[in-house]
Amino acid sequence: MRYGRPPASAAIIAKAAKSVLIYRSDILVGIVSLALRVVLVHLVWQALYAGDASVAGIGRDDAIGYAILGAIFNVTFQPWHFSSLMSRVSDGTVVFDLIRPVGLITLSLGQQFGAVLAGFPRALIGMAVALALGAVPPPTGVATALAFVVSSLLGLAIALLCNLLVAMTAFWTTEIYGAIMVYHMAAAFCSGALIPLWFMPGPLATALSCLPFSAQVFTPLSIYLGREPDMHTLASIGGQLVWVVALAGLSRLVWRRALLRVVIHGG
Amino acid sequence: MRSLFTTRRVVTKAVDGVSMTVGPGEMVGYLGPNGAGKSTTIKMLTGVLVPTSGRVEVNGLVPWRDRRANARAIGVVFGQRTQLWQDLPLRDSFELVAKLYGMGRNRYLSRLAAFTDLLDLGPFIDTPVRSLSLGQRMRGDLAAAMLHEPPLLYLDEPTVGLDVVAKARIRDFIANLNADTGTTVILTTHDIADVERLCRRAVIIDEGRVAYDGDLDALRRRYLPYRELAVIVQPPLPEWDIPGVELVDTVAHHGHVILNVRHDPLMLSTPEAIGRITARVAVVDLTVKEPDLEQVIHRIYTAR
Repeated sequence: MRYGRPPASAAIIAKAAKSVLIYRSDILVGIVSLALRVVLVHLVWQALYAGDASVAGIGRDDAIGYAILGAIFNVTFQPWHFSSLMSRVSDGTVVFDLIRPVGLITLSLGQQFGAVLAGFPRALIGMAVALALGAVPPPTGVATALAFVVSSLLGLAIALLCNLLVAMTAFWTTEIYGAIMVYHMAAAFCSGALIPLWFMPGPLATALSCLPFSAQVFTPLSIYLGREPDMHTLASIGGQLVWVVALAGLSRLVWRRALLRVVIHGG
Repeated sequence: MRSLFTTRRVVTKAVDGVSMTVGPGEMVGYLGPNGAGKSTTIKMLTGVLVPTSGRVEVNGLVPWRDRRANARAIGVVFGQRTQLWQDLPLRDSFELVAKLYGMGRNRYLSRLAAFTDLLDLGPFIDTPVRSLSLGQRMRGDLAAAMLHEPPLLYLDEPTVGLDVVAKARIRDFIANLNADTGTTVILTTHDIADVERLCRRAVIIDEGRVAYDGDLDALRRRYLPYRELAVIVQPPLPEWDIPGVELVDTVAHHGHVILNVRHDPLMLSTPEAIGRITARVAVVDLTVKEPDLEQVIHRIYTAR
């Protein structure tokens, strides 16, 4: 698979990030609202756990920490505009992506990664607020922190690839925004960004852990909270790697099929 | 209700048996009514659409198969949409194009300077694209399409929606590009003036098929065999019996009468026709009407 040369990909990512960061008031509102969300989630889960040291075998601190990290991941990794490709197909500007010496997958992923990257400062501020409140415990060690970062980036890669695959269905169907809303909510739920998989009934949790969504959020969060120590961490990260490779292969396959039925909307 | 569960496929051929060859350095006007298949042809030439049958070759490449190699050799402007990044200053889009096509810093800067000069981009190059006027945006799109110096430029309605000044500027730029660098240009448009200013050859398609391919002058001669004159005379009207000059109609006009007459320039030259008219009637004024390409196109489109 030929990807774009590094300078080209880096330039796409940088421009996409700049496109988001240029709207400063929007960025500010985003930061304030995430900080508020962190505080509110903290309050609610504290109330929920009042008196109980653990529910379903999960301690109070882990549950609260998870809920807050989940909120930050949800906002950062699963934004409403989860793929630039969809709108570019529907308004026909995708035509320009098809006349570039760089592939459509590189262009789309680059644009989306850039947009997510622009949300990183907000996520870091949210994280700082959470740490300051004592709502999220600091990572247990350097190794855990490192594993968490690696796992988070892999989780992001999986999220971007899943979203790209869904966005590519725009080549087959003209209007899919209804289905997209359902997908967006299902992805948030299945990834464990809203409720940890620990609290779900056994069969459901098992089923969800077999889907690529749990690898987006649940895996890095479990590593952070030390629920997947030592060899389990490596196994989890290995599992994420498998997902990345499988989804990258699948997107390439789907794109090859899509290529034969490209329609440019609007003359 | 039935349409919810079943789909009926109707195959519409947007382009059917269009055959043409364009030589290097040519500027070809590709014309046709709405829905004739112009844009579909351009999209097949650029490698965006895959033809269901037939052969497309651009500089020895099959565009959709050798998409990336083909991309380096072509510049494309779609007047109805933009390749520029809406949220960012115009300059950012150029920087990105330079990176996408692997242009070195120096080459990029010198090309940008040249375009800034030619298209007068200076006043708005640091303005977000969203805030540009249509004319400014189109100049930006042209520069973005040609930044990497492709030998071939596709223009799909590059002047749509522009005012006369903006149109003239775009046309001049394209004409100069062709004259200076020998860029091959394929131009689709609904504005015949674009074609008259830029192209010697026109290809007209209708319902997916080629209706005409050839010289513009020959096109005029073929579809407008007559040269038309408007002759303003004092009433009363004389009896019209001038050999070789036919009276088409008469219109009253501010106390005068306009006689619209025509003659076949192959049978009778225009000066000779004017001589015969002035010898017979008291002419107040006289104008020779330019053969109007618009009429030609109209005639071809409606003669189905």
